[in-house]
Amino acid sequence: MKTDTITGEESLQIIQQMIHTAKNEQKDDGIGWIVWGWLLFAASLFSFVNMKLNLVNPYFFWNVLGLATIVLTKFVFFKKEKSVKTYTGELFKKLNIGFFISLLFIVAAINLQAVSAMAGFALLINLYGFWALIYGTALNFRPSVIAAFIVWALGFVALFVKTFDVTMIIHAGAALAGFIVPGHIANKQFKAPATGQNYNVS
Amino acid sequence: MFKELDPILHSQLRLAVMSLLISVKEAEFTFIREKTNATAGNLSVQVNKLKEAGYIDVVKQFKDNYPQTICKITPAGIAAFDVYVKNLQSYLKK
Repeated sequence: MKTDTITGEESLQIIQQMIHTAKNEQKDDGIGWIVWGWLLFAASLFSFVNMKLNLVNPYFFWNVLGLATIVLTKFVFFKKEKSVKTYTGELFKKLNIGFFISLLFIVAAINLQAVSAMAGFALLINLYGFWALIYGTALNFRPSVIAAFIVWALGFVALFVKTFDVTMIIHAGAALAGFIVPGHIANKQFKAPATGQNYNVS
Repeated sequence: MFKELDPILHSQLRLAVMSLLISVKEAEFTFIREKTNATAGNLSVQVNKLKEAGYIDVVKQFKDNYPQTICKITPAGIAAFDVYVKNLQSYLKK
């Protein structure tokens, strides 16, 4: 056992590098946010165009989004288990479950006419803001924290909107600010090269 | 010189393993091997020493018909790591 060959500075360096390595494992590749964000963005814009041109049922694109979400949930939003479990990862699992249950709750409220569609979408935007704040804070990812407040501002504006087509534009903006932009920033940071170390000494 | 430092922790690989495990909930043996670039044999010996000291828990199980070894730091391991870091800091301040 080579206990005498390691200096205090080396010990400190090992601790710092390994903790840094573990921290990197907590980074998110942002793919889930990007896919989810673009789905919301596309459904909002297609619905807006649809309302202007009267092509199909007003909720057609939201039904398509619902089906796409079910398919993608398994592959994108709840990824395969990694070889390491972090406390942040465990928190995100629960956060995502809570997010989708709350989302389904609001969708059900809209469909059961417990709330109007416009109020329902304002509530959905509010939920995106909540998700972005928790995710951003847990990851110490500032773009997501800033995005949360932009999304909440959009949600607040959505409460005063008189027509559903404008709600759709605001919703598209919330998807862009809350998921797409932070998602791409997170993905870029995730792809940044990390350094490896060799500690193959007993 | 380093008499006050825990000899179990005061080795490159064991300290690297403990520093990794202190930051996560639990990690597979393969993950630790990848991050430390250690050989499976050497890592296995060092993990066993940490386990014998009561600093980590090692769970061996099967997942999808493949053997899986999961390592997790124990409260005694956290306390020992804490003392080690404090002693290290006081040494470095001298």
